[in-house]
Amino acid sequence: MQLRYDEDFLEAAVFLCASGRRPGVPSLQIARFHREREKLYSILDPDERNAAFFNLHLDWFREWGLEQPLTDVLKESPLVREQLGVLAVRKTTGKNDEGAELYVNEAGQRTGLLALRLERLIHDAALRDYLRHEFTHLHDMLDPAFGYLPELELPGLNSAQKRLARERYRLLWDITIDGRLTAAGFTPTQAYEQHAAAFARGYSFWPQPRQAQTFNSLWRTQVPRHADFLALITDPRGLREAHRPAPGASCPLCDFPTFQWADPGLLESGLVQRITTEFPNWLPGHGVCHRCWEAYQVRELADCASAA
Amino acid sequence: MSNVFNWQLGREMDYPYEAAYPDQQFAFIFNTNRCIGCQTCTMACKSTWTFSKGQEYAWWNNVETKPYGGYPHHWDVKTLDLLEQANPGRQVWGGTPEDLKVPYGKFNGKTVFEAAKTFIGPEGANRALGYLPTDEEWSAPNRYEDHPVGNEKGVKGQYFKGGELLPEHKTWFFYLARICNHCSYPACLAACPRNAIYKRPEDGIVLIDQERCRGYRKCMEACPYKKTYYRGTTRTSEKCIACYPRIEGKDQAGGGLPMITRCMSSCIGHIRLQGLIELNKDGTWKEARNNPLYYLIHVAKVALPLYPQFGTEPNGYYIPPRWVSRPYLRQMFGPGVDDAIEKYSAPDRELLAVLQLFGKDQRICHRYEIKEGPKVFETEVRGKKFALYNDTIIGYAKDGTKIIETTVEEPLHVRDAKHANSI
Repeated sequence: MQLRYDEDFLEAAVFLCASGRRPGVPSLQIARFHREREKLYSILDPDERNAAFFNLHLDWFREWGLEQPLTDVLKESPLVREQLGVLAVRKTTGKNDEGAELYVNEAGQRTGLLALRLERLIHDAALRDYLRHEFTHLHDMLDPAFGYLPELELPGLNSAQKRLARERYRLLWDITIDGRLTAAGFTPTQAYEQHAAAFARGYSFWPQPRQAQTFNSLWRTQVPRHADFLALITDPRGLREAHRPAPGASCPLCDFPTFQWADPGLLESGLVQRITTEFPNWLPGHGVCHRCWEAYQVRELADCASAA
Repeated sequence: MSNVFNWQLGREMDYPYEAAYPDQQFAFIFNTNRCIGCQTCTMACKSTWTFSKGQEYAWWNNVETKPYGGYPHHWDVKTLDLLEQANPGRQVWGGTPEDLKVPYGKFNGKTVFEAAKTFIGPEGANRALGYLPTDEEWSAPNRYEDHPVGNEKGVKGQYFKGGELLPEHKTWFFYLARICNHCSYPACLAACPRNAIYKRPEDGIVLIDQERCRGYRKCMEACPYKKTYYRGTTRTSEKCIACYPRIEGKDQAGGGLPMITRCMSSCIGHIRLQGLIELNKDGTWKEARNNPLYYLIHVAKVALPLYPQFGTEPNGYYIPPRWVSRPYLRQMFGPGVDDAIEKYSAPDRELLAVLQLFGKDQRICHRYEIKEGPKVFETEVRGKKFALYNDTIIGYAKDGTKIIETTVEEPLHVRDAKHANSI
């Protein structure tokens, strides 16, 4: 497997060291780095100059031990090293854009892309913990036993529900990763308690014993599976089976999840007729959300007013 | 370190170089009361100077929503915090305003240059105390746009009573337009290890010599206003050049006369007034009673420097927003805030006339004169008598060319009947 670095990432990383933000970089070396760097400005050909800067930054990246955590942690993941053709590292600005991704081209060649914020490079131990976590993501994606699919198959969910499902998927996956890392004696990126609290927030609609049981089984599992995650994220409330207005279920008219169902007493005959004209399969027992009820009520009142 | 006199602080201060002053100084006033945050200035600058590859994060001109907004994020809070760490509890003003040399009293705290001597910042020992913003802090130039802050804790489901009343709104924000302040004692210049930054002797514009710059980014660390930007494609730092070809009168539109910058001339709210200030040998301003900037800054004292306590003697001045929490404004513009707002809220005859000069012409106005007109009406503004006269103000370029003539009351033009509804 080949390690490749983005030019911007390398430059920013060595500057982080040169500015003294990463501990343990001798000032004499910083002065030498700047002297060597200054010389390159005199290269007139832009491509040649860029290449020279790249090589210089790569040399100092290695000299200042920034590559070591990457190679060390990669050694712990033989599957990642064997299956990936290239692991590319680039810089990212925001926390939400950080992480590892897997790309597979038409020829089946697999490339890993690791996006890092520069601040990750300041402390070696924390960087190693983070890399271990992200490489476990890559490991799972490459492991046939995990059964990873790049697209989440979530039929029947609207876009808001899909987003929620994807967030739950990430939550469950992170729990199993940190659970496995803890069991292996490594420091997780988030502790058991933090994950437990996040899980309780994500599945607050479950009774506490069920929350605890599911969370603990996720934390302890050594062989997580994509399919198991799918089962837990698509319809955790069991709302699909509900044939009545349940809190958080989707309104049959607008398809938005709602906790505000219109009082059945408000569904007057004129309104029911108006809705069934547009939704022939709808029955009053299915219910409508308060917003839809309001919309149909306004139309009803407007028609009455214009008739008068 | 040398001793230089900083009139905005009313005292001498330490600076890494000997004092040296230009013949004239580029300076400007922004009236924050008029800014609507439309970003036309931002785009005028962007489309003129920073539209190329590698300049994606370079916003030489930006408009941020205060108090939460800022580019880079929290630039002012972070620098104020560093200064407070360096000199805890002692970053205070004292004394009383005196003459031109002590217009706001005396600042007793430490400037970024003085604090750097005794306090090691996050980037180590430097000539000016500062920090290097992270990539994330550069990532969103208009973060927190239109986010207000409350002066007091609100009650759920209930509006503040009297929240619309001056002198201070209970919920507020305002737009702060910013460019490089072309400081008299630039921290970027002081910090550059290559001596690549210089101040032009003819107009005090601060420039980075692209041939000398080697991308150390020390200027970015040191500038307390965070107005220099690193460009990855050239591996050099860049900054606002005050549209110097226009200042030199080389823009054809000016007919050879010095012109205001692109950001100033594009301002649709007419919040900006730019000029060139004649300096004495000691760096103080030559008396020029009828120069609009001199009048607004040194006579009327309605325009104040931005964070004067940083100690760089910025040449950007602001008429503070009337409705904003006073302690916040005192921190941002110094102790002159209360008088400035008082004066601006019920302007006298001359001030009202001079305020009409903002954004009226693209050429730099060096001198004005006022022709008195009739009284239009009289009223009371917050207990103070206010009379409006329809005076005419005339502005002249440096060579005496008349460039502006406008009245206090907006002229009313009645079109011929044949043109009715033809707009």
